[in-house]
Amino acid sequence: MINFRYHYGVKKIKYKKILSPLTEDTTKIILESISDGVFTIDHNWEITSFNRAAEEITGISRKDAIGRHCWEVFRSNMCEQDCALKRTMEEGRPFINSSGYIINREKKKIPITASTSLLIDKNADVIGGIETFRDHSLVEQLRKELSTKFKVEDIISNSDAMKNIFNILPQVSDSDSSVLLEGDTGTGKELFARAIHNMSHRKDKPFIAINCGALPDTLLESELFGYKKGAFTNAMKDKPGQFALADGGTIFLDEIGDTSPAFQVSLLRVLQEHEFTPLGALAQEKTNIRIIAATNKRLSDLVSQNRFRQDLYYRINVIRLSLPPLRHRMEDIPLLVERFIQKLNLRQEKFIQGIDKKVLQAFMSHEFPGNIRELENIIEHAFVLCSEGYIKLNHLPEFLSLPSSINGKKDSDPVKSAQIKLIIDALARNNYNRSAAAKDLGIHKSTLFRRIKKLGMAL
Amino acid sequence: MKIAITVWGNRISPVFDAASTLFVAHIENRMIIKKSYISFNPTLPFDLIKLLKKMQVSVLICGAISTKPADLIVENDIKLISFVTGNALRLLNNFARKQTIEKTFMMPGCSKQYCWRYKSKKLPIPDSF
Repeated sequence: MINFRYHYGVKKIKYKKILSPLTEDTTKIILESISDGVFTIDHNWEITSFNRAAEEITGISRKDAIGRHCWEVFRSNMCEQDCALKRTMEEGRPFINSSGYIINREKKKIPITASTSLLIDKNADVIGGIETFRDHSLVEQLRKELSTKFKVEDIISNSDAMKNIFNILPQVSDSDSSVLLEGDTGTGKELFARAIHNMSHRKDKPFIAINCGALPDTLLESELFGYKKGAFTNAMKDKPGQFALADGGTIFLDEIGDTSPAFQVSLLRVLQEHEFTPLGALAQEKTNIRIIAATNKRLSDLVSQNRFRQDLYYRINVIRLSLPPLRHRMEDIPLLVERFIQKLNLRQEKFIQGIDKKVLQAFMSHEFPGNIRELENIIEHAFVLCSEGYIKLNHLPEFLSLPSSINGKKDSDPVKSAQIKLIIDALARNNYNRSAAAKDLGIHKSTLFRRIKKLGMAL
Repeated sequence: MKIAITVWGNRISPVFDAASTLFVAHIENRMIIKKSYISFNPTLPFDLIKLLKKMQVSVLICGAISTKPADLIVENDIKLISFVTGNALRLLNNFARKQTIEKTFMMPGCSKQYCWRYKSKKLPIPDSF
């Protein structure tokens, strides 16, 4: 047994006598009624009392707890390194709201805050210590829920830019109208299409995604409309197309802007008549599908350039959702990072706990031209190099060059730094073509050269 | 046979997730023939597993442990006996002599059915142990 006073050198201090108007019974009733866990210890660090809430939070009965060392019962991360009770005993003063966690018998970490003070008897003698602790599981859960303002299906966001889309998504899903999803590459257009399908009455029917840009015209037609035996060489038997297979469900046509005028005509007929003709067939077939189209280009621009049929554009563009690029919803980065780490930990059976503060800084100062897909790929890259613990700067791909702020150096001239960053970003966006970068910045090429020289940029 | 125990002074560390020292004992013929202390980082369980494997430690004894590291240790074929408390050396002697962990070494509120964790239902102890 460790003698408390001997072990920590605490002197027996006489404290000012405190007269309590409460009887012992009343105190017991109060202790049993409160929702905070309370236990007291003697000089041997053995538990002398353990209230009802303490039983509930730790999962240990009073009978089992009393007489045992506090660390065996409390099982907190603070016990070994930073015991608040020990500090209280050594310094003779209370400590309020020390944060940590305990591990219950189900091996679950329970976040808590603990407060400690000396236990003083009627004669003002220190007879031990008292620790009160509060279960913060619910607070943590609420904090997590609050930090995820919006969540639909697999899409999470904290950003106001996404708020309007999330708000109308249920109504969009309920309707049978065609949807046009516009957004840069990697902004999650297919995820949104799946969410719309999963929230609709078609959810039990197929969802088929086709990348129109990846298939040549003839192949795309045979893939979507199907063909009859003998329609062309090697058509040995009838093959149903995706429009037939997806009957009752949803077809997601990605990169619709890359389709040929001929295909656009065929697609227009499907949208207008809900009918299509398989290649080599004589009769038309009926179909009941919903079309969700997506593009990373501005379809209206393609229409004005006569590269996309106006009538098809109006057929598709019944409901249009524009997904913001990641650089317009940077507040989502921590949330997305957490989600990708969870996903990859499960898939790769790893134990990555999060990202280093500097990594977050690097992410926040990156433009993410590849958007969420790029962020996911960066995390996956880091998973290859980092086996556990926290992802650090050296685990990131090289192209994530570090601005001065990440290296801990303060910018002497923030305006100059901002101008440099603006130019570097514009150059990166335009493959370091200075004329294109100047156009992007809305300035003349010679102005850009002058500015680069003035800022002393070595390019 | 080599056994590792997470320790805090001469006791078993109350919480694996916050422990920092490993006590590794080599036992032969029911005697501790060699012992050593090693520092480790509990937030890097893969490093610990690698270390235990390298040292040919087959059993890890610790105090309370959370699910994630517990699962990793067990999945890597290291027998885990958790929610154990008391004097580390006394536990080790007792374990060597009786080939089992007595109830007095269990943390309050825990039983063999609750808290404790093995890879297999029975912890096989070789004759030489």
